[in-house]
Amino acid sequence: MATLKEKRTCGQRCEDFGHFVWNSDTKQFMGRTLERWVYISLYYVAFYIVMSGLFILALYVMLLTLNPYTPTYQDQLTSPGVILRPDIWGEEGLEITYNASDKKSWMRLTNILDKYLLHDKYCLLYISKSIPFYFIDYNETHQNESNQHCPSGSYYIQKDFRGPHHTKYACIFTREMLGSCSGLEDPTYGYPEGKPCFLIKMNRIINFLPGKVGSPPYVKCTMLEGSHSTLQDVDYYPVNGTFDISYFPYYGSLAQPNYTNPLVAVKFNRITKNTEIKIECKVVADHIRTDNFHDPYEGKVVFQLKIES
Amino acid sequence: MTVFTAEIVNPCVLTHPYNDDHQLSFEELEMKYTTSVTKGMTSTMAAQVLERDGCNELKPPKGTPEYIKFARQLAGGLQCLMWVAAVICFIAFGILMGQGNLTSYDDLYLAIVLIAVVVVTGCFGYYQEFKSTNIIASFKNLVPQQATVFRDGQKFNINANQLVVGDLVEMKGGDRVPADVRIVSAQGFKVDNSSLTGESEPQSRNPEFTHENPLETKNIAFFSTTCLEGVATGIIINTGDRTIIGRIASLASGVGNEKTPIAIEIEHFVDIIAGLAIFFGATFFVVAMTIGYRFLEAMIFFMAIVVAYVPEGLLATVTVCLSLTAKRLARKNCVVKNLEAVETLGSTSVICSDKTGTLTQNRMTVSHLWFDNHIHSADTTEDQSGQSFDQSSETWRALGRVAGLCNRAVFKPGQDAVPIPKRDVVGDASETALLKFTELAFGNIVDYRNRFKKVCELPFNSTNKFQLSVHELEDPLDLRYLLVMKGAPERILERCSTIMIKGQELPLDEQWKEAFQTAYMDLGGLGERVLGFCHLLLSEKEHPRGFGFDVDEMNFPTSGLCFAGLISMIDPPRASVPDAVMKCRTAGIRVIMVTGDHPITAKAIAANVGIITEGSETVEDIALRLRIPVEQVNKRDARACVVNGGQLKDMTSEELDDLLRTHPEMVFARTSPQQKLIIVESCQRLGSIVAVTGDGVNDSPALKKADIGIAMGISGSDAAKNAADMILLDDNFASIVTGVEQGRLIFDNLKKSIAYTLTKNIPELTPYLIYITVSVPLPLGCITILFIELATDIFPSVSLAYEKAESDIMNLKPRNPRKDRLVNESLAAYSYFQIGAIQSFAGFTDYFTCLAQEGWRPLLCVGLRSAWENAHNQEVQDSYGQEWTFAQRLYQEYTCYTVFFVSIEICQISDVLIRKTRRLSLFQQGFFRNKVLLSAIVFQLCLGTFLCYCPGMPNIFNFMPIRVQWWFIPVPYGILIFIYDEIRKLGVRRHPGSWWDKELYY
Repeated sequence: MATLKEKRTCGQRCEDFGHFVWNSDTKQFMGRTLERWVYISLYYVAFYIVMSGLFILALYVMLLTLNPYTPTYQDQLTSPGVILRPDIWGEEGLEITYNASDKKSWMRLTNILDKYLLHDKYCLLYISKSIPFYFIDYNETHQNESNQHCPSGSYYIQKDFRGPHHTKYACIFTREMLGSCSGLEDPTYGYPEGKPCFLIKMNRIINFLPGKVGSPPYVKCTMLEGSHSTLQDVDYYPVNGTFDISYFPYYGSLAQPNYTNPLVAVKFNRITKNTEIKIECKVVADHIRTDNFHDPYEGKVVFQLKIES
Repeated sequence: MTVFTAEIVNPCVLTHPYNDDHQLSFEELEMKYTTSVTKGMTSTMAAQVLERDGCNELKPPKGTPEYIKFARQLAGGLQCLMWVAAVICFIAFGILMGQGNLTSYDDLYLAIVLIAVVVVTGCFGYYQEFKSTNIIASFKNLVPQQATVFRDGQKFNINANQLVVGDLVEMKGGDRVPADVRIVSAQGFKVDNSSLTGESEPQSRNPEFTHENPLETKNIAFFSTTCLEGVATGIIINTGDRTIIGRIASLASGVGNEKTPIAIEIEHFVDIIAGLAIFFGATFFVVAMTIGYRFLEAMIFFMAIVVAYVPEGLLATVTVCLSLTAKRLARKNCVVKNLEAVETLGSTSVICSDKTGTLTQNRMTVSHLWFDNHIHSADTTEDQSGQSFDQSSETWRALGRVAGLCNRAVFKPGQDAVPIPKRDVVGDASETALLKFTELAFGNIVDYRNRFKKVCELPFNSTNKFQLSVHELEDPLDLRYLLVMKGAPERILERCSTIMIKGQELPLDEQWKEAFQTAYMDLGGLGERVLGFCHLLLSEKEHPRGFGFDVDEMNFPTSGLCFAGLISMIDPPRASVPDAVMKCRTAGIRVIMVTGDHPITAKAIAANVGIITEGSETVEDIALRLRIPVEQVNKRDARACVVNGGQLKDMTSEELDDLLRTHPEMVFARTSPQQKLIIVESCQRLGSIVAVTGDGVNDSPALKKADIGIAMGISGSDAAKNAADMILLDDNFASIVTGVEQGRLIFDNLKKSIAYTLTKNIPELTPYLIYITVSVPLPLGCITILFIELATDIFPSVSLAYEKAESDIMNLKPRNPRKDRLVNESLAAYSYFQIGAIQSFAGFTDYFTCLAQEGWRPLLCVGLRSAWENAHNQEVQDSYGQEWTFAQRLYQEYTCYTVFFVSIEICQISDVLIRKTRRLSLFQQGFFRNKVLLSAIVFQLCLGTFLCYCPGMPNIFNFMPIRVQWWFIPVPYGILIFIYDEIRKLGVRRHPGSWWDKELYY
């Protein structure tokens, strides 16, 4: 009704507030005497100690129920995400642009590949004390030290912990398997020639099996925009761009601390220079979804590529 | 606060600027208005004056324009808070957009929702007001009034609004006085000034100038008063808004509206909310800065926290709770114009009530008879359910016969179906009373009168002070005439020489005269109007059949009559009133009677209904009892006090305050309606919340000034209804008490609703605080919060309005507006920092459980935020080494929102249960009594389930179909809340006044 009228003035409000903060008549600070402040504080301290105790107890009990090797649920991880290296992000996603004649510009990209194949920088950024610190090194020597050669063509199912320190074995994946994209023979990965290599990687999901035995998942890159002919001459490493199913299933970082993500290298041999093209690389397998509208990186990766000269 | 000036307070203001036309002679009057007291004005002159002065009608009170009414709905305390929050949201959104890192439109949505809530509840409140205004409008009488006017010496019937100053008008019984009129000639002209002065006695009007004060002089009839009987002509001296009534009506618009107590409470509450919001915001701003956020980011956090503190759902809850009560009240005949007024009645500590019509039936009724030397009580109840007296005495037959025959009143035709006490009658109040009384006693009175054929009659006049008539007898063989007479008892007695006792005529000796005096004094002392009755059988010899009775010559005896008895009449209290006054008293509410009637009548009615309790004495009573002068009585000994208008006029406001303070039982008699205003103000100065009842136009200033003005639906004028906050459709005081009860209940229940609503603010806020300080993935999203605030929790919080009172609220004192706040610090602290904290712990337990079971252990989550929220990182590793894309993490985050949502919901179920009572154990109050609350809980659960499991929700409202067991994780916390609150209540009950009670009772 009369809310528009008869507002208390600001001065009155401030005065009231001042009186509330310190009432000299009753010796009350913020409505309570000192003694009562002490009591109420003690009460709250006790209250919060008890509540925090209950909370921590609840979390502790909950953690005890967890299996250290496999998560209880994998509701969101039904199909693995796919990503590529080098990964440079622009306004609308992955945008890889370089000048073939400018060494600095392509070195930025090849450095990423070098580093990736040595160890994953990204892991270092955020992995905290809670999980064992590790990185992936695709060098043959390192791989031979820690991992096994696995028989290709079948899932490497391990029921028991037969590896050292109660672990499971992981399979070897070395740079050599990436052929001319390994960076060993050609440390420039074909970038200056306008035939760049890209590494396609699938996310790790515990106990995930990509498909039937005999039809291993493979990478297939297609043009989304631009003429299809530009993308004809594509080389995949290993052969046919397959991820060998012996790398599956993954048993988790505790069981397989040295697990190495299998990679597929894609080399685009005929890219029209100075034009922007959009490429989609899909991992094709029975159990891998690639058509999730809400997750553009599930089972596929899309990127823009432009090589200037 | 007071828009009110001292000038308006003075009741004399009305008299002074008023012209002195009543003192002028007719010649001067004719000169002044170029008119004639015989022929009236010329029509050309009248047209000119009409041009100059405008129509003779009250300008409708300047109605508030509709858009302002609507704007007011948008400008309450809570509304302002939400506007500020919306602006902050826009600013935050603007900053984020300006920075170019716009990841979500949450801020924008929030701002829009905030505005939408304000506007929608505003529309709702506006609709309510609109509806009740319509109810009032329906009372309006749209028939244009006609008036008889002389112009150019001719008599015309014209619309009353065409009258001008100087017009000569004719008025007769039944008309409404068309303007302020100086009487030129009159025959037995009487007016009812009750709408102006509140005095229900008919007042005679004649051309004589009797008093300097125009309100007191007998030669002015006032606009809008009614002519009761007689005929008069007069010159119009004021029209339209310049009439007395017009001045009073315009006075009302000068009185500022007081803020309702609930509006003050809500403002206080907004102060608390705003204070806490800024305190929290500032604290976390500092924390964020020290953690190392950039200034702008910290600023965004600050804004988000402030906004998160706004209880979005509260406005809707309060509005709905109030309108539910308004609806409940409407069913009990109280129409509330303003929603907030619902609660005002509950905090009322003083009711200034009218007498006539509100406390009484507004119907003169025979209450006592004196015959056979005994006072007999008549049945005065409205439905004739009371005890009547023994009617076997012969004397009674004689008395009844006189009362029935010496009576000019008749029932209006066509009312056979109406119960006798409710029938309309043509005739003055006391004749009406006698008519109804005899009709009830003898049956068809028309028939009865026909049997005693009337030969002649002399109507009542003020010089004789009696009325007589002569009738033939019922028995056709008995040829005597019967003379019946009634009038002022002492005058009647003078004319009597015998008295009838048990059917025998006895000589009227000194002993009988003394008995008569005692009875007369007794009845007069009851505040009743007493009439004496006598009769005489005229001898056949002197007055044979066909004798020419002549009332002017008085050719028949009018003395030596036989006294039959006394009948006294009063406007009796309504049956439900004494009970209601008693209830008010136990509820700690003072009822003050303010009436225009005689002090004695007022006091009698006050004693009758319990405003003056048995055993209470006024100063005068004590003086009488102790036989000492009034001045020597210690005023403090007198509980009761009757003040009349004359005394009140001479009092300073301090004296009045003092009077109100010393005497708990007050009756103001012979007061003018303007003095009502002074009384209201005085009560308000003493810190009371005052309800005022009124019906006349002149009451409107007091109605407006009061904290809650209550207008009478039946007898109330439009002006009064306009000024009032509430309208009693049945004019019954008892309805006010119902209103008080409902008002108190809603205050208690609003407290519960608010406590319930506020609690969840903390579990909504802590996720954000933890998110910015510990950098975990966001546990609760903005849209989810809005769903809690505006969807799932609305119904339960409203359902608390249906909660029964915990104790007999009508046995408690009215709340002290300075101490008993709607939202006090202990309510806020208990809700926020205890129950809210437990709810937060429940939410986080569920949140961490859900994350851990999906692969994100709690310790990994700490500091995870930047990686988690990086849309370019498609391979964030969880505790098991699995890699997650951004979208997968987002859905996981939505799952977290949902489990947090579910946790709050589960805890809120426990919360709504504990809020049912503030002091009693829930086992004492009963779990299942409030069916609405139970269905609200079911509704809440169903809605929650729907939100979680309806397909499509993840991408629209960010709800995920969560695993069933996550619903049960917060259950132990819910039980904990319940047990904790039971312990709190136990402590409060067992140790009233203890530290525990002070800190934890809200």
